[in-house]
Amino acid sequence: MSTVSTSSTPPAASSAAVEDRVAPRTGAVKLLRLPEIGALLGAVAVCVFFLIVASAFRNVDNVGTILYGAATIGIMAVPVALLMVGGEFDLSAGVAVTSSGLAASLLAWYFNFHVWFAVLLALVVSLLIGLFNGVMLNRTGLPSFLVTLGTFFILQGVNLGMTKVVTGNVASNNISDMQGFDSAKNVFAWETSIGSVAIKAPIVYWLVITVIAAVVLRKSRFGNWIYAVGGDSDAARAVGVPVRGVRVVLYLFVGFCAWLAGMHLLFEFNTVQSGDGVGNEFIFIIAAVVGGCLLTGGYGSAIGASLGALIFAMTQLGINYAGWNPDWFKTFLGVMLVLATLVNVWVKKKADAR
Amino acid sequence: MSRRTRRATAAVVTTLLVASVAACSSTGGRKAVEDAERARSAGKASTPTMTIALVTHSGPGDTFWDIVRKGAQDAAAKDNVRLQYTADPDGAKQANLVQQAIDKKVDGIALTLAKPDAMQGVVKKSIAAKIPVVALNGGLDRWKAMGVTSYFGQDEKIAGQQAGDRMLKEGAKHPVCVIHEQGNVGLNDRCAGVKQKVPATQLLYVDGKSPASMQTAITSKLQQDKAIDYVLTLGGPIALVAVQSKSSAASKAKVVTFDTSQDLINAIKGGTVEWAVDQQPYLQGYLAIDQLWLLKTNGNTVGGGQAVLTGPAFIDKGNVAAVEKFAASGRR
Amino acid sequence: MSTATEDTMPTHESGPTTEIVRLVDVGKAYGNVTALREVNLSVRQGEVTCVLGDNGAGKSTLIKIMSGLHDYDAGQMYVNGELSHFSSPREALGAGIATVYQDLALAPLMSVWRNFFLGNEIRRGPLRLLDNKRMEQVTGEELTRMGISIPDLDRPVASLSGGQRQCIAIARAIHFGAKVIILDEPTAALGVKQSGVVLKYIVRARDAGLGVVFITHNPHHAYLVGNHFVVLKLGRIALDEEREDLTLDQLTAEMAGGDELAELSHEIRQMDAAADR
Repeated sequence: MSTVSTSSTPPAASSAAVEDRVAPRTGAVKLLRLPEIGALLGAVAVCVFFLIVASAFRNVDNVGTILYGAATIGIMAVPVALLMVGGEFDLSAGVAVTSSGLAASLLAWYFNFHVWFAVLLALVVSLLIGLFNGVMLNRTGLPSFLVTLGTFFILQGVNLGMTKVVTGNVASNNISDMQGFDSAKNVFAWETSIGSVAIKAPIVYWLVITVIAAVVLRKSRFGNWIYAVGGDSDAARAVGVPVRGVRVVLYLFVGFCAWLAGMHLLFEFNTVQSGDGVGNEFIFIIAAVVGGCLLTGGYGSAIGASLGALIFAMTQLGINYAGWNPDWFKTFLGVMLVLATLVNVWVKKKADAR
Repeated sequence: MSRRTRRATAAVVTTLLVASVAACSSTGGRKAVEDAERARSAGKASTPTMTIALVTHSGPGDTFWDIVRKGAQDAAAKDNVRLQYTADPDGAKQANLVQQAIDKKVDGIALTLAKPDAMQGVVKKSIAAKIPVVALNGGLDRWKAMGVTSYFGQDEKIAGQQAGDRMLKEGAKHPVCVIHEQGNVGLNDRCAGVKQKVPATQLLYVDGKSPASMQTAITSKLQQDKAIDYVLTLGGPIALVAVQSKSSAASKAKVVTFDTSQDLINAIKGGTVEWAVDQQPYLQGYLAIDQLWLLKTNGNTVGGGQAVLTGPAFIDKGNVAAVEKFAASGRR
Repeated sequence: MSTATEDTMPTHESGPTTEIVRLVDVGKAYGNVTALREVNLSVRQGEVTCVLGDNGAGKSTLIKIMSGLHDYDAGQMYVNGELSHFSSPREALGAGIATVYQDLALAPLMSVWRNFFLGNEIRRGPLRLLDNKRMEQVTGEELTRMGISIPDLDRPVASLSGGQRQCIAIARAIHFGAKVIILDEPTAALGVKQSGVVLKYIVRARDAGLGVVFITHNPHHAYLVGNHFVVLKLGRIALDEEREDLTLDQLTAEMAGGDELAELSHEIRQMDAAADR
């Protein structure tokens, strides 16, 4: 850039705001500045660590298990990350997954719907939950933390209450004998293998969602708006960005992914427990933050969130693979996550210092 | 933006509703169950209506506690009792719920003593207020000292030992005991009982609220230690998750479990789960309410100062058929 | 450029000065509080109109009316000769009036070029993806043309100085077709040097043929660049002069409150005297 400014600037401007303390950046530094690079190095570090300490981790057959673990987190961590870049939280994301699975299974069972029809209704339910979050946020002007906390409790109650009303029990009834179940299972919970690695459906969905989200965030106008809304919503509004619309779309995306995850749970396990999913919202947020999202919004990446999910899954399963004393499981998990995040932060600092 | 979204949503809903006419399943579902549903009617006592509070340490939406509650409800219906069910897994909060029941001057309190120290104070208050207390499920070694009238439950350690005995008999060498709630005394006792019989038993902690996470955790354990030949879970739904893990890990381990649920009964019938240790949760809830009613109306106590054990009993392929027909209504 | 820093900068006189915005007896009340009454103001192409006033004098109400955030309820506003009521900032933007607020200018963690094109992104290809390269290039050219050099446009704007951020926001408004830019206290939070950067930039915008409304409470800054001065006091116009009819001292005195200031200075001197005793 500096070459351009010296050749084409009229002499009068040479005294203008030339900030010579900032040197131009090289390509390598540009690479370092990508928000996901720290998470990538963190993931590599965790991977190398467990490759050394856990023999079962080195077994190629187990890659499928790790990827599956990462996928079930990542499918939700990616939309949650986008939402966080947009400056908002969704504490209802964990139970929304359960709500979606329950909706499909209860509707199918109670009304004797074709399973596919119930699956579509569940999509509507999930999108409505997202819409509710977004519209409530826009209407009330309350922090999203509070609005979605309300949704979190509401959904928790509805999940249990509706299940009891419909089935008389606290879990949805098994719908595996209903029409359309098998074809839906072939879509949401299929399994195949590449070599000796078992590939489950969510892995593919996770990767697809990650790629789409990454392209949208970095390369689309809407992505630019997400950054702006999260960075400074007033500034965004002042230049004509439809701030409220952006928020609603982000919540709808969370709703869509909750549906996808919920359908997987339903067709993988045939029934859904009404109390499931509580606490997962924080795992999604953790994955996004480990992957480089700022809690304050305006910065982060979809690929980073996926790497965060991978780090979380590798750590969680790596501890099992290593066969460490399980009493200390959560402690190991905490230490590993903090270390992985430190690597991430350290890389970012290095990049900023150049 | 939002108006457009709303309109689009309305359109989608309408389309789906129209489509619903043509979108019914002819197999399974509610109809199948309703067709099979039998009228469940018992005689009703003519004693004056009384109010009994049942306060447990259940988390929301737990299959096991749902069965306990159904037992209590059925007993309450039979005894002309107004049942007030509340639950909180947190010890202090559970004590608070008991305090509320005392404040409401209920006629009797049935509670779990999973966290006996937290409950000691309110039990004392309740007895001082002349409200009789019975305990169920948790607190086997503490109920008597606290002045509780009777206890209905199983000894978790004994149940664990019996499970261990049975595994040993079946040739188990390297079982893994899956704990789905960290810090739960009852679950730890079960695994400890198993470990007394089969010393090579390993522990695995999983997140009971996330089936996907449980599945990968159990899978990874099975992949890490190929010698594992028994997976013992401590809750019905978790056993079903373990069955998935077993196939993911291509493991030959057998899945056995504590506690049952409707789907688990089917799994035992289908052979994917070998057996379940049943502590008859329905009975715990039923007997607790019935005991309070008997005490109030006729001054009876059961157990003769000893705990009334409702388990352990085993459900396996041999006797599953007898249990199956009751499981459909969520009472086994 | 050096003229910009001289005390006696001549009025910009190249070409005819067309009037773009004209306010006639404009008033605005919030409930029973009248924030603005009978304000007359004209913004001409190639001129800097300075609006001065103390806190609460009605400056921000004036900005909000012109930028479309609030409608006025008395008088008339003519934009390009037409009577106008704006119902949103978007409408004001459409009419060529851009506002650069002191605090809500840019998203801090976004790069310079992303901020520059925010809301006006260049897209290409069948997927309508962002043309990052082109946007970065245009941003560089545009900033250079206006005399700002930022070597790394990928940097987040948070790492730039306050003056540079103001300039980027102004350059953005100009690039996307603003005919009038309203600058809300652009130098208030800046040091001397950074203020200089922004003031020079205001002159450039003026020379590029824009009508500039420069809101400030600093008469020195105003006098450096202004062609026309309006001082607001309690929602009314207290002074309305062309540059040639006004000296910096007069402006300062008017701005500082004139008589009130003289009285204040007297009081302080008395206090000093009392303290010496």
